[in-house]
Amino acid sequence: MRKVSESVDEMLLDYLDGNLPKADKERVEKNLQEIPAWRARCEELRSVNSVLAETIIEQPSKNFTASVMSKLNLYQAPRGLSLWNSVLLLAGVLVAVGITTVLLAGGLYDNSNTSIDLNQIEIPKQLIKTPLPAFEFSGKIMVNVIIILNLAIAWIVLDRAILKPFFQRRMQAGH
Amino acid sequence: MTNDPEHSRIERILAGEQHLYAEMVDKYKSYAYTIAQKILQNRPDAEEATQDAFIKAYHHLKGFNQQSKFSTWLYRIVFNTAISYKRRSKQQFQSLENTFVEYRGEGEGMLEKTDRKKFLNLAMAKLNEADRTALSLFYLQEFSLEEIAEITGMPANTAKVRIHRARLRLADELKNILNKEALTL
Repeated sequence: MRKVSESVDEMLLDYLDGNLPKADKERVEKNLQEIPAWRARCEELRSVNSVLAETIIEQPSKNFTASVMSKLNLYQAPRGLSLWNSVLLLAGVLVAVGITTVLLAGGLYDNSNTSIDLNQIEIPKQLIKTPLPAFEFSGKIMVNVIIILNLAIAWIVLDRAILKPFFQRRMQAGH
Repeated sequence: MTNDPEHSRIERILAGEQHLYAEMVDKYKSYAYTIAQKILQNRPDAEEATQDAFIKAYHHLKGFNQQSKFSTWLYRIVFNTAISYKRRSKQQFQSLENTFVEYRGEGEGMLEKTDRKKFLNLAMAKLNEADRTALSLFYLQEFSLEEIAEITGMPANTAKVRIHRARLRLADELKNILNKEALTL
């Protein structure tokens, strides 16, 4: 038997759902009487409808609610980092800061200065009217900034990943 | 703000009356479990996923937007939890042996009914999780298209189209299965 088109399928579903305007509904009913392919497809869809209409609500086990209630306080919100990884990260950051501080105190960066002279960049001379400035960079200052940033990261890791979960667990245990 | 009667109960739970949550679990567990069951098609996994979803919902009650309907918000959590369980599960392809079919040997008329149900379950197993859930929610007649869309995380128009297509696909699958059955007779 010839298969009906997608638009007919859609129309038949709307017809079965009772979503068609009166004129369209009458047209479908007329076609159902005259076209066997429409009639066969409509029966198939009606049969799916009637089986699906028997969809039942499933029931969980009898102790479902009690089980949920007993687990409520055991829940731990997923964290980005595990406690062990957080401790490792914190230790790594602190070791890096310690080594850098020792090297800094030993004077390793005292003479590591550099400058960037913008006049060395190749720019057509007609575009430059006055000489460009040169920037001096002190290695000591840069290392100090890196140490401060690392200390800030260490503080955030300590607070978010170690101290906060620790005190939250203590509070939950106290309830 | 919607007039969801659950809002006052949620406020009391947030104020410390944890026991009131048991009433909410009792009220919503059947639909929640049905959604998980439709996705996972495995009773123990569905039970675990539903419990997990209720526990997650409890711990995120503070973040619940009181302008939404609680049930829709909860069922969306159930849907997402069940989907992540499904992804974690090694059984990506469900074997026919595990297909849940309710058999009740209660006479000829009943046999026909259980057969139809068996074939429906076989056909349903071939749909993807979102379509299967959307279709089941549609036929439970408890949810509007907008709610189904919100639970399954798709736009309302898409939900309508997918439900239509799933019904058509189901009709074709049922026809194929019945043809195969007829050939084995």
